[in-house]
Amino acid sequence: MTTVFRLPRYLGVGLVYLYRYTLGVLFPGGCKYHPSCSQYAIDALRRYGLARGMVLAGWRLLRCNPWSRGGVDYVEQQRVFR
Amino acid sequence: MILASPLTPLEDVLRSILEWLGPHGALGLPWAWSIVALTVLVRVAMVPLTVKQIHSMQAMQAHMPEMKSIQQRFKHDKQKRNEELMKFYRENNVNPAAPCLPILFQFPVFIALYLVLRHSEDFFHPGDNRSWLGLLPDIADHANAHWSGYLMLGIYAASQLTSTYFMSATMDKTQRTLMMILPVAFIPVLVNFPTGLVLYWVTTNLWTVGQGVVTRSLVPKKAPPSAKRSSRTPPRGEPEPETGDGAKRQAAPQQPSPTAPPKRVRRKKKRARR
Repeated sequence: MTTVFRLPRYLGVGLVYLYRYTLGVLFPGGCKYHPSCSQYAIDALRRYGLARGMVLAGWRLLRCNPWSRGGVDYVEQQRVFR
Repeated sequence: MILASPLTPLEDVLRSILEWLGPHGALGLPWAWSIVALTVLVRVAMVPLTVKQIHSMQAMQAHMPEMKSIQQRFKHDKQKRNEELMKFYRENNVNPAAPCLPILFQFPVFIALYLVLRHSEDFFHPGDNRSWLGLLPDIADHANAHWSGYLMLGIYAASQLTSTYFMSATMDKTQRTLMMILPVAFIPVLVNFPTGLVLYWVTTNLWTVGQGVVTRSLVPKKAPPSAKRSSRTPPRGEPEPETGDGAKRQAAPQQPSPTAPPKRVRRKKKRARR
């Protein structure tokens, strides 16, 4: 049952890996944060599930813009979901 | 197509842009050149996003010795090294790494172009000139249809390596090597892509390279006389922690506001190790 419950997040994590080895390779770039945005997305999905994980990953991507300062930012430090 | 349906609007938008650039549109460029023009448009639109990064790279030049020493200190611990580097960037308000968001802007264009070229039969008029420089016979053809496709892929690989070289200045060696090998490993997949798409890639990579060259020529070899944006460290509640110990700094309170703090003289190279 728990496995079934966790299926959506596995799907999400799988999609991030798929991105990493396709578009991620073809469009190289860095990330202003540690861990990188894709790693953050994986961590967030694993920890908070598909829906909330996607929100967190999306918010992180928006923060990873030219005007942000970047830095160290782990999923555990998020304050969107309590 | 399951995948295509949500992407159809995207395809339509790109199609109308290409039509505007193309032989029957306002600019009247041949198809291949309208792809090049499209790429240039996308990159020009992204220039404002890169300005900030260029400034950051310039500022970084002044911090090179400190960064090198961090890299040295955590040579064997990638995790810790990245963490310390990021902290260092944040403290000094420099971050040479490219942000992720602008990269995402390129995906829709790329995917839409792929779709347009794949459905080229209902896009190109019969009798249109689809060649490029007399080299590529047809930009909608797969790269393996003609020897020139392989040539294009070769140019692509070279341009990709060069642009990765410029993009990945901040990565560590292993990561950099990987980023350089992977595109080459991708060529067997790319062989099945329309050559017009490869053309897009080559153009965008060349733009990256050109931008990188310009950036480098703008970066002064020596530190600039006035510390323009280098170490505007916001005032701290506590006296300057001079321990050089990262763990302590993390505890420092978040910068209260982005109000411009008084300009400070750049920190002398006086950090703890010596």
